[in-house]
Amino acid sequence: MAETITLPDVEREEQTGSKSGLEPAWLVICWNDPVNLMTYVTHVFQVVFGWNRQKAEFHMLQVHRQGKSLLARTTLEQAEHYVHQLQKYTLHATMERES
Amino acid sequence: MKLIRSDARGFVFHFSKREKQLLLQTLQLYPLVPAAHHRLARSAESPEELERQRLLEEALAEHRRENRRQVQAFLEEPRRFVEVESGFQLALSAPQVEWLLQVLNDIRVGSWLALGEPEPGEEPQPDRHNAHCLLALEVCGLVESVLLAALGVQESPRWR
Repeated sequence: MAETITLPDVEREEQTGSKSGLEPAWLVICWNDPVNLMTYVTHVFQVVFGWNRQKAEFHMLQVHRQGKSLLARTTLEQAEHYVHQLQKYTLHATMERES
Repeated sequence: MKLIRSDARGFVFHFSKREKQLLLQTLQLYPLVPAAHHRLARSAESPEELERQRLLEEALAEHRRENRRQVQAFLEEPRRFVEVESGFQLALSAPQVEWLLQVLNDIRVGSWLALGEPEPGEEPQPDRHNAHCLLALEVCGLVESVLLAALGVQESPRWR
């Protein structure tokens, strides 16, 4: 039986970075490393971003199934902070300027 | 290894003698992920990007030095594991569990890299240089699972 779950409105939530047009936004992306446990990735997302379980699981599954997930759209300094925190947990995370 | 109890002060885990030996042997491998593995961007070319990459590597190197110091203290503390009739007990605070997860996952990912980054279902082909990584990969995965379960993170059926 198909299961219906309500997923977070990621697109809208990611649009909380600088939208003034004065400062370019940076994207924080997590890439799939198949060695990481799904529970581990979920936990790290909860710790680093302070997300609830549902949102952390949504992004973990996106990484797992699609190879990557956009985790945040934010300022340069905040993006660097997030990538550093994710890499402390040995997750494969990068940042790039929004094109 | 299993969780015996948890309360506001932290967690107490039970280890058999063999499990304790395996954990301590595995922790000695830290750090295992090469420093150059972590990249801030998929391709860093401009001077600003290269500088940011340098700063990230410096920060991570400092983090790894501190973790290595803590691993050494962990290994050298004789009363870390309390002997009981059926094995050993290890008490960890919540921050210590978080620290141990980071250390174990470095060893797990580093072992996976050393084994040639096998895909799920693909049989690793260890040689005499990296055979120990196969065991470390499994030990870290097992201990991480128990620690995460203690923190309340369980697999959900809908993940499959």
